[in-house]
Amino acid sequence: MLNTHENHTNRMTAEFEDSVSDMNQPTDAELAHYVIDLLDDNAQHLTAVTAKRLSVARSLAVSQLASQQGLNHSGHVLARFGDQIERHRIMSTAIAVGAMLLAFYAAQHFGFNSNLEEGDAFLLASDLPPEAYADKGFDTWLVSKND
Amino acid sequence: MATAKELSDFLEAVERRAFKQTAYAVRDDHAALDIVQDAMMKLATKYADKPLAELPMLFQRILQNTMRDYWRRQKVRNLWTTLLSSFGGSAEGGDERDPLETIDVEDDSDEPHAQLERSQTIKLIELAIQKLPARQREAFVLRYWEEMDVAETAKIMGCSDGSVKTHCSRAVHSLATELKKQGLDKLGITGSIAMSKSLKS
Repeated sequence: MLNTHENHTNRMTAEFEDSVSDMNQPTDAELAHYVIDLLDDNAQHLTAVTAKRLSVARSLAVSQLASQQGLNHSGHVLARFGDQIERHRIMSTAIAVGAMLLAFYAAQHFGFNSNLEEGDAFLLASDLPPEAYADKGFDTWLVSKND
Repeated sequence: MATAKELSDFLEAVERRAFKQTAYAVRDDHAALDIVQDAMMKLATKYADKPLAELPMLFQRILQNTMRDYWRRQKVRNLWTTLLSSFGGSAEGGDERDPLETIDVEDDSDEPHAQLERSQTIKLIELAIQKLPARQREAFVLRYWEEMDVAETAKIMGCSDGSVKTHCSRAVHSLATELKKQGLDKLGITGSIAMSKSLKS
C-alpha cells in the first residue's frame, strides 16, 4: 500500500517536472518569430560590398523607370494628337471632300476658259473675218453654195 | 502608378531581405545579387504602371520566379557537368555531409560571449533554413518574414491556401526540430524567448 502511494507520488512529481519543462519550451510560432527577428537583424548588417551592389541595382532599376516614364510622356503626346484626329474624323472627311470638289470646279473652270481662248485663236487665224460667223444668213449662203 | 522616388524607397526597404532570402535559396551570394537585380529591373520595366500598394506582392512574385529560372538553368548546367565529369573521374562524395557539421566555430576570445553565441545561432538558423525544402522555405519566408497573409502567399506560390498552411507548419516544425537537435538552451534561444515573453507580459 505504501509502495503504491510512493509510486503515485513519484509519477505525479515526474509529470509536474515535465509540465514545467514544457512551459519553458517555446512554441513553434514563438520560435518562428524569434528566428525571423534574428534573420531580420542579420539582414541589416550586410557587408559594404553587398550593400553597394544592391544600391547600384536599385539605381539602375529606378533610372530604367524614369527613362520609361519619359518615353511614355512622348507617347502620350502622339496619342493625344491621334485622339484629336479621331475626334474630328467627320470634319476631316468633309474638308477633304470640299477640297476635292473645289479642285474639280477649278479644273472645269480653267478648262472652259482655255476652250474659249482656243476658239478665239481659231477665229482670228481663219481666212474669213469674225463678222462672217456672226451673220445670220452666212450659214444659209454657205449651204446653198455647197449645193 | 509609382513614381521613381516611390520605387526607390520601396526597393531600399526590401532589398536586403530579398538578398538574404535569395541567398538562402540559391546558396551563392553573387547569384543572389544577380537575381535581386533582375527582379528589380523586371519590376521597374514591366510593372511600373501598377499602384504602389501592389509592389510588395509583385516584387516577391518576380523574385520567386527569377529564382526558379535560376534553378532551371542550374539544373541544365549540372546535367552537362555531371555528364562531362563522369568521363573525367569520380567525385569526392562530399554531397551527403550535413552542413550543420561544417560550421567553423569562431574561437575569438576577445569577442563578448553573447555576441559569439548570437552569431553562431544565426549561422545555425541560416543553415537550417537552407536545408528546408524549397517550397517550405518559400512559404516560411513569405508568411513570417514578409508578413503576408495566407491568400497572398498562395497567390505568389501558385498553390492553394491549404498548401501554404501545410508548407508553413512543416517548415516551422523542421526548423524547431533542427534547432532543438542543436540544443535550444545551448544556443540561448529558450532563454531569449522566455525573456521576451516575460517582457511582453
